[in-house]
Amino acid sequence: MDYLIFSFSLMLVYIGLAQLLHIQFGLAGIPNFGVVGFWGIGLYGTGVLYVEYDVPLLVAILLASAISAAVAYVLALLILQRSGQAILAATLALAAVVATLVVTEKQLTGGVQGLGTISFPFPGVDGRNAIFLGFILAVVVGLIWVSARLRDSRLGRQLIAIRDNEELAASLGKDTAATKRMTFAVTCGLMGLLGGLSAPLNQFLVPYLLAPSLTFAVWIALVLGGKAHNLGAMIGVFATFGLFDILVETYAPVPPDYALMVPNFKLFCYGVLLVLIIMFRPKGLLGEDGPRTRTNPVAAPTGETVKEG
Amino acid sequence: MKLEASNLTKAYHEHEVVNIESVAFGSKGLEGLIGPNGAGKSTLMGLLTRRIAPTSGTISLDVGDGVHKLNPLKSHEVARIGLIKTNQRIQGFDSLTIRDSLRLAVTPPKSEGLMSIFAGERDSEDIEEKVSHYIEAFPFTDRNGYARSGGEKKLVDILRCLIAEPKLLLMDEPTAGLPDDITRTVMDMVREKVADGKMRVVVVEHDLPLIWEYCDYVHFLSEGSILFEGAPEEVKSNRVVAEKYMGV
Amino acid sequence: MLLLDAIFIGLLEASPLILAAMGFTLIYYLNGFMNIAYAETITFGAYFAILFNVVLGLHFYMAIVPSMLLSGALSVAVYLAIFRPALNRGVGPTEMIILSVGVSFMLRYGLILVVGPENLFLNEPNITYMQFAGLGATNLQLVALVLVFITAGILYWMIYNTGLGEQMRGLANNHELAMASGINPHLTSVAIWFIAGCAGGLSGVFSGVFAQVTPYMGWNVILITMLVTIVAGIGSVRGAVIAAIVAGILTSFITLVSEPLYSEVALLLAFIGVLTYRGARAA
Repeated sequence: MDYLIFSFSLMLVYIGLAQLLHIQFGLAGIPNFGVVGFWGIGLYGTGVLYVEYDVPLLVAILLASAISAAVAYVLALLILQRSGQAILAATLALAAVVATLVVTEKQLTGGVQGLGTISFPFPGVDGRNAIFLGFILAVVVGLIWVSARLRDSRLGRQLIAIRDNEELAASLGKDTAATKRMTFAVTCGLMGLLGGLSAPLNQFLVPYLLAPSLTFAVWIALVLGGKAHNLGAMIGVFATFGLFDILVETYAPVPPDYALMVPNFKLFCYGVLLVLIIMFRPKGLLGEDGPRTRTNPVAAPTGETVKEG
Repeated sequence: MKLEASNLTKAYHEHEVVNIESVAFGSKGLEGLIGPNGAGKSTLMGLLTRRIAPTSGTISLDVGDGVHKLNPLKSHEVARIGLIKTNQRIQGFDSLTIRDSLRLAVTPPKSEGLMSIFAGERDSEDIEEKVSHYIEAFPFTDRNGYARSGGEKKLVDILRCLIAEPKLLLMDEPTAGLPDDITRTVMDMVREKVADGKMRVVVVEHDLPLIWEYCDYVHFLSEGSILFEGAPEEVKSNRVVAEKYMGV
Repeated sequence: MLLLDAIFIGLLEASPLILAAMGFTLIYYLNGFMNIAYAETITFGAYFAILFNVVLGLHFYMAIVPSMLLSGALSVAVYLAIFRPALNRGVGPTEMIILSVGVSFMLRYGLILVVGPENLFLNEPNITYMQFAGLGATNLQLVALVLVFITAGILYWMIYNTGLGEQMRGLANNHELAMASGINPHLTSVAIWFIAGCAGGLSGVFSGVFAQVTPYMGWNVILITMLVTIVAGIGSVRGAVIAAIVAGILTSFITLVSEPLYSEVALLLAFIGVLTYRGARAA
């Protein structure tokens, strides 16, 4: 039971991350390959503040998210106006820097020995992990709601315009660089928040958690479900994490000799899935999102009349 | 209203495309900019709106609230002062419908912040009315959908700039790719706005009859320099213009 | 003295990186996307060497060439089976990179499923430690260094002085024009992917013999390879060689004066710095 609660909590974290990546890449066109880095700043930031400085857990999570957002803002200032490939490499590099610093700064992070223990809030209450699962659920549902609102908002419209043709958007007076920077910082801060929420789930933090496979798992989920569809990310997580990490790992009758190979088999399947999707269904399982704007035009204008030539 | 460039040059690989000692736009209502192919018209338009960085020279814009030096500004800052340009080559937002594209252009950047996510309604009635006003003036195949043809995309590009209500509008070859009747509707709209004092316009065109019909003043650009300026009649009868351009 | 040490060790350590960066750059230049699956070309090179050297018992030096050629063949196979069809379908550059991540996962974890996740060791030739003018290196390192520079030299010559290089540049710059002028894009592309694969395989063989052979070895160098390539500018093979050497020397210098891991951090931050600086200049 505890394991299932853990798995579902983690799946929600993945859904949240995929939703944020949908905003970054699907809406704004920013290829963030450093998801694990921002999530990791939240995770380890929370861990260090909580364990080393006795900051209350929820405060630690919020502080760590703010740090993640600040780092993202600085990175955005430096590289967000470069080419997509440069952004991709730079975010990947940032994630590697975070993972390396966690190993080198032993006095803070415990290095390879690990950092712990981070316990769930509400000590002494029964089913704290279930309560926390509910808390994460609330956060992720909130995220999905905001993301859906964003798509149909004025800001979302500007982000789509920037993704389609940034120069044209700028020529209409949109400060595209600032909009992208702000969007990137906020969404990365929220990735940090999800990282912070993952800290008590893991209880004991080790550098291995910051491996780039998390970034790729989230990307695979996004591409699988459909990057342009705001439910695509969620479907993608069900089809990857939900299928393999929960169903297969919990219920599949794998002989003990092969149990160690299951994660490798999973990643192999992720690779095959990703290749098949991009080759045969590049828009993802859900495909493109249609226009969801007000289609009924307002009654004919009365104030001004149109002159015909 | 005055958009002024002095000692403006632009060179690509040592080859000078634009070299203008001094020119001023925007003081005469509806102005035309003509010149042979390769005269540097589009480059000049790009320089004026800060899409292209000049090799040397200064550009300044006065819209009635003091003189803005445009050189250090970015493209969006120039647009916010009130200088916008339509595009010669087709540009568009492929994922936005015609309506959304116009709504985007008319929405002030201030109201596109994070808080707009939680706004009850996305676009005010006022904006919807303006958008409908422009869209219904033209025979789009699907008024509530996407621009279908190249011509429709070009038209949307022009409408985006008109609805944004700039103080000075630069139009880079608005007739290219548009049917005649649509061009006339657009130019009539433009003329009316100019007559009402809502904006000043500079039109870059090869379609000379259109220039003679609509423009109050014409600049002639050849080999990167302004060679002659004057009222349409003066330009029409000028010997240099005739030699260099009209092949007489 | 510290500087000299750093340069020397840097060159030794950078030698596999130079090859990897050249091969990676070739593909980047030709097809315009960063091929993350190039990591597996490197890894497979080392595993092919295991096959010839450990399983079949060939001498290490005899295993180098067949391993290299097999890597080249693998590279071509992946190109023909996956990347070329995808490019023909008009998949965009970012999606191509994601696709290459998929290919990378498929190959890497497929390899683990077949041969297992354990670290393997190549049977090294007799190692003697040599010293001159205060600098020390093993004979293996010196052989590797010489071989790498010879290969890099040949590659460099091929790209800048032969018909193939010219055809590649033609294809990368203007596909239609190149085809109109009689270049066979199919043959040229296959040749380039083969050469790039050989360079990656060779890089893997040397990385493997210097340390150990693991399924993650290619992945561990691909990030640095990518950064080197981007810093060098789009598809400049000359730039990639220089950037790889500088990266190697920088790494060994920082390793000598502080902790090895800090060199990675410094390198990554330096990369972001270079990108920012170049962007600021271009604007």
